[in-house]
Amino acid sequence: MIFTTILIAPLLAATLSAMMQKGAKFLEAFTLLSSTIIFICSLFIARTVLADQTCGFPPYFEVNSLGAILLLVTSFISLIASFYSIGYLRAEVKKEVIGFSRVRQYYVLLNLFIMTMILAITVNSPIATWIAIEATTLSTAFLISFYNKSSSMEAAWKYLIINSVGLLLAFFGTLLFMAGSTALVNNHGLISWNDILANAKSLNPVIIKISFIFILIGYGTKMGLFPMHTWLPDAHSKAPVPISSLLSGVLLNVAFFAILRFKLIADTAVGAAFSQNLLIYFGLFSIILSALLIYLQINYKRLLAYSTIEHMGIIALGIGFGGIGLFASILHLIYHSLAKPLLFLTSGNIFLKFSSTKIAKVSGAFEVIPVTSVLFIIGILAITGVPPFGIFMTELSILTAGIQSHPVITSITLLALVLIFIGFLKHTISMIFGEKPKEIEAGEVSKLNLIPLIILASTLIFLSIYLPNPLKLLIERAAQIYTL
Amino acid sequence: MENIISSQILFLADLIIFTTVVLIHLTKKNVYFIYLYAVQSLVVTFLMAYSAFIDHSLMIGLLAVLIFVIKVIVAPIFFLKLIKAHTLNITSSNYLNLPFTLVVIAIITTMAHSKFFQPLASLAPANENALLISIAAMFISLFIIINRKGALSQMIGILSIENAIVSFALAAGLEQGFGLELGITFDIFAWIVIASVFVSMIYKKFNTLDVSVMTKLKG
Repeated sequence: MIFTTILIAPLLAATLSAMMQKGAKFLEAFTLLSSTIIFICSLFIARTVLADQTCGFPPYFEVNSLGAILLLVTSFISLIASFYSIGYLRAEVKKEVIGFSRVRQYYVLLNLFIMTMILAITVNSPIATWIAIEATTLSTAFLISFYNKSSSMEAAWKYLIINSVGLLLAFFGTLLFMAGSTALVNNHGLISWNDILANAKSLNPVIIKISFIFILIGYGTKMGLFPMHTWLPDAHSKAPVPISSLLSGVLLNVAFFAILRFKLIADTAVGAAFSQNLLIYFGLFSIILSALLIYLQINYKRLLAYSTIEHMGIIALGIGFGGIGLFASILHLIYHSLAKPLLFLTSGNIFLKFSSTKIAKVSGAFEVIPVTSVLFIIGILAITGVPPFGIFMTELSILTAGIQSHPVITSITLLALVLIFIGFLKHTISMIFGEKPKEIEAGEVSKLNLIPLIILASTLIFLSIYLPNPLKLLIERAAQIYTL
Repeated sequence: MENIISSQILFLADLIIFTTVVLIHLTKKNVYFIYLYAVQSLVVTFLMAYSAFIDHSLMIGLLAVLIFVIKVIVAPIFFLKLIKAHTLNITSSNYLNLPFTLVVIAIITTMAHSKFFQPLASLAPANENALLISIAAMFISLFIIINRKGALSQMIGILSIENAIVSFALAAGLEQGFGLELGITFDIFAWIVIASVFVSMIYKKFNTLDVSVMTKLKG
């Protein structure tokens, strides 16, 4: 029942939105209602997982501890993004950038996007997961080209092609993973994640190694790992900000989840060292690349996009290091999922006010939009790992996990993180302080564009200071599941 | 005896797919590579129908019919209409010239038969040649996307990768259940529709399908 509700709610919202001929308020209400239902259902699922280890509707759906965490993060950020979309789209309509049909298209696709992400997290079969992740690409392509400009069209095409190639390679890897398990097909024609895991020791180790390389390249493309990251800065910078916040804060986690599930099977079949080494190198190069590009960046949305690549690299590195690194990576994922949407959404307010995404064209933001600026600074401090924000602790734990086994890699990472901090500081100072342009009037965009940001920032600060026991338990269990 | 026949049939089918992928690299006219894609898809459909016949599976047979309708009829008609609507008779050029393209294809084919991919032949030792040639077709299709400047060619490249993977799966005995196969087919169909709409939108914006002139993202 709960799985039906969580999937039907966004589908219904999308269908009803598609049928509307006028009345943007109805579109907003459908989406907000659907997102609220999804969030409530996620809480119920998380509660069940806490009590029973898993929550499922066999043989189609099953959510474990990490699934529950991702479901909570996805539904919370979706709710925030839906809320923020109201004020953002109203402002765009007011500026006559878009009309009703565009708004309708936006809400239809937003709901489908949320539904496909929920599906990818909850389904119990690797092939069904692939189908759902492929569907996320299809539902977001038109959201990236939303403004119908040449640049957004180009970004969307790049996104569609690169992700489709990546996902086809992931599909190939998935089929190879299932090669030794075809005899396990149940009455419903499904092979579940657990079936493959239970059979992992009998799988051909060489084939598993080849399969995992395909999986890592394939889903790594979706996760934005170097060198398959090229679509990410373009797509994230061209999409409307609520979509960028979902792409960065949630969608990449879904791809990460798929990699982690295959990693567990691969580790059982061939030992952990193989996948760990691959993740360490992919992670390290993602961090180095983003450090250099963050420092040199001239566009603040691209700056945030490269920061996403950096954090995906940190997560990959943490998993690669193993031990405490895995727990820290999962916690890092949660903090990143809160901090990055906060930054994207505040950047949305900056964009609505300054009508430019160029860092050079934004100055004196504190004078123009003081509340947004404070929230932006909170986001920057959180994302660069300044204490007391949680990312400081998770990055420290990941580096601690790696310092003994991989001292050189850990040192390089530390240097890169320092460079990233300096880069962010440089850009933030130039945007927030200084003299405001005379033609821009002081005053926040609207309350609707602030309330979701304040909720998000408060949650981020709260979770940085205090980690509630149920969440801690879920993270501990998730780390246990994915450790051999 | 049945195994030998199926091995021969599979190898022949995969050889046709491989040949169509190579020919897509060589052809200059958009219309031709749509036809080549249709031929390739027809072979995949045949393999699926053959698999349904061997396994006496009505559902897989129905799926083969559905794939035939989508990949052999609907998709090529879609693409041909697109070409007609925008008078895109000649495809955009390659990044590499013809001799270099052929050299890369030869390297990829050799690589697919290298020690790295050889273990995959153990999935179905009787179909070793079919499996390895499917892998070659997959990577040569990937090379279409890298080497061709046309958006339409890139689309065909993606769909060719998918055909090569399906033919690999059939040769390796990795067919999925009906529900999942249906899901995959639906995804592919949605992809074809969405990518076609994008191709049309790109043409309207840039007045060409040459992706090398799409440089608005720089800076």
